[in-house]
Amino acid sequence: MDGVPSDPTQSQYLTFFIAEEEYGIRILRVKEIIRYDTVTRVPSTPRWIRGVLNLRGIVVPVVDLAIKFGIRETPIARHTCVVIVETDLEGERTLMGVVADQVSQVLELPPQEIGAPPAFGPRIRVDYIAGMGRVGKKFVHLLDIDGVLSAGELLAVSAAGASAEPAPGEAAPPEGAVT
Amino acid sequence: MELEDDLLLQTFAAESEENLAAIEQSLIALERDPRAEEALRAIFRSAHTIKGNAATLGFRAVAEFAHLFEDVLDRLRKHQLLFGTALATQLLGAVDVLRQSIPRAIAGHDGLSGPAPEVTAALQQHLLVEAEASAPPGRPAARDGEAAAAVPAQPGPELATRSLRVDVEKLDRMLRLAGEIAVARGRQRALLEASGPRDGEALEVHRETDRLLLDLQEQIMQARMVPIGPVFRRHERAVRDIALAHGKLAQLSVEGDEVEVDTAVVEHMRDPLTHMIRNALDHGLEPPEQRAAAGKPRAGRVTLRARRDAGSIVIEVADDGAGLDLGRIRQAAAERGIETSRLREGELEALIFHPGLSTAPEVTELSGRGVGMEVVRRNVELLRGTIAVDSVRGAGTTVSIRLPLTLAIIDGFSVGAGEETYVVPLDAVVECLELPREAGAGSGGCGLIEVRGAALPFLRLRELFGLPAAAPGRENVVVVSQDGRLAGIAVDALFGRSQTVVKPLGQMFRGVPGVAGSTILGSGRVALILDVPALLRQAAARHGGAAAEATA
Repeated sequence: MDGVPSDPTQSQYLTFFIAEEEYGIRILRVKEIIRYDTVTRVPSTPRWIRGVLNLRGIVVPVVDLAIKFGIRETPIARHTCVVIVETDLEGERTLMGVVADQVSQVLELPPQEIGAPPAFGPRIRVDYIAGMGRVGKKFVHLLDIDGVLSAGELLAVSAAGASAEPAPGEAAPPEGAVT
Repeated sequence: MELEDDLLLQTFAAESEENLAAIEQSLIALERDPRAEEALRAIFRSAHTIKGNAATLGFRAVAEFAHLFEDVLDRLRKHQLLFGTALATQLLGAVDVLRQSIPRAIAGHDGLSGPAPEVTAALQQHLLVEAEASAPPGRPAARDGEAAAAVPAQPGPELATRSLRVDVEKLDRMLRLAGEIAVARGRQRALLEASGPRDGEALEVHRETDRLLLDLQEQIMQARMVPIGPVFRRHERAVRDIALAHGKLAQLSVEGDEVEVDTAVVEHMRDPLTHMIRNALDHGLEPPEQRAAAGKPRAGRVTLRARRDAGSIVIEVADDGAGLDLGRIRQAAAERGIETSRLREGELEALIFHPGLSTAPEVTELSGRGVGMEVVRRNVELLRGTIAVDSVRGAGTTVSIRLPLTLAIIDGFSVGAGEETYVVPLDAVVECLELPREAGAGSGGCGLIEVRGAALPFLRLRELFGLPAAAPGRENVVVVSQDGRLAGIAVDALFGRSQTVVKPLGQMFRGVPGVAGSTILGSGRVALILDVPALLRQAAARHGGAAAEATA
């Protein structure tokens, strides 16, 4: 995946549990971890976008990968938290929150411990996985966070929202209510 | 050392841009009136400054080019050159070269970019010719193609005498602070009101502090205000170039130079203004012969106007062209399956904002795809503004945009629907009523109620947003006014007035209908700000019948 990292944090991953599977994100992308508190739902958005929360004055969108991966909606329990990551949306660095059942650990994964993503198998789309990290006998799905929250999908969210407005020809504007 | 260099380069970049903009405007003024000696002197000063600074910073290619520019100007000053459209276009081209080359030089590539080869060649040509004509000073030089009507250039406003260059970043931070102050004040007030007037002195101190904080808040907002004049005038070049490209004659008029507006509003209006000006030049203004035949002056006029009106700023883009062709609009609407027979003139005109509707006979670079005016409207509404168009066949078209003076803080009215809190911009709110039980029955997306003899259509927020909660016992209706028409938004609870900070929702939620941003409540929760015009449109489309009945 990468060449020999000169900076040790390059090969460090924060791992967390979503629906009993362990996933990891490059630690350089993780800004902070907060407890799951109130999230305001935004209408006309897919269920995997749970809404937005207030992070010290910044409004941050929150996504539930368990829903996105087609597993289930993450139940909010005592250890449920939100991992705030930094992603690139259309050239702009944006913060995003990822809901996790529980944070696990910080793993040091040198390249030799990382295998190629499987051709098929896990319940999630293979193109979200950047690789499989080996930890003892288990595997950790290393997420390509930009791929998961890719610009294409997110902007499709916006477009889906926009199409809720009447397209020309669909519904003739009633008298007196011309847009 | 490195930090100083950085600052030096940044200053050079900013000052050069200002000088280039000034040169541009002076060139256009000179084109209109070649006798304007002061304009020529101004160009000289600016070009000289750029050359000097570039040389000092070691940008040789840029300095040499600026020198060439100065040489041509010198010839002009000595009346050895005639100032016609061709020369004006070349000198404006030189401005473009510098505008593109300077940032690259700062980034480390000392060379020339943009149309450098052609412009350099053209300018050098002018230096070779000894003296093109011995036109004595005072006689207006002949111009090729009658570049513009001989109307004296409008004088720009007097330069500010004492001013300071401030990083926009700092102003943005101050703005966020102003917002937090507003929220904190609200919380403190709520706390004190809740705990009752126990300590007279504490209350007194609170009132005093509150007054001071309010003053500070307003001062911060004031610091961000910039006069709109320079922003308007920056379009002079575009007007000239586009008119020329279309074989039309046009000039830009500016009214309301001194009107001040938040710098963020200026940023957001830049593209919409450009688009509307393009429209006016492309579709609005007629070719000179046609204008002359109609008894109009051959050169058309595009006017940018700004004025304050209560808590808003009104910006108008007007042209004295042919006006909107209602017949064409009807036709284009029919092609898209939109029924127009029962629409009044004003509503027909408003169709230009409809997505996909374009009456342009062919698609030019930016006009004609039917995307433009709808995007302009969207941009305006995202700023919580409104847009309207008015046209008189044969006389011209005016597009009016009304925007709030400030984007950062919103005076809102908080309401509850489902389990969430939403904020309705206060300036749209007319009154609040209880929803009569008979009218609602707690279901259905919309309905009609009778208010003082008139029928008021209302939409149910909970239903429109697909919120899961069950209907409460009593619902309330917030009556809003939009484009002179009243409508109601039925909600589950009313929470009252609040002044809160507007937080953009971000790229991700750009297309969500009915939502125009978010705000953070005193409790720390995020509340969504309702986009009233979009909500009403959405409801009208979904429940067209009811709305039609209502307005019948």
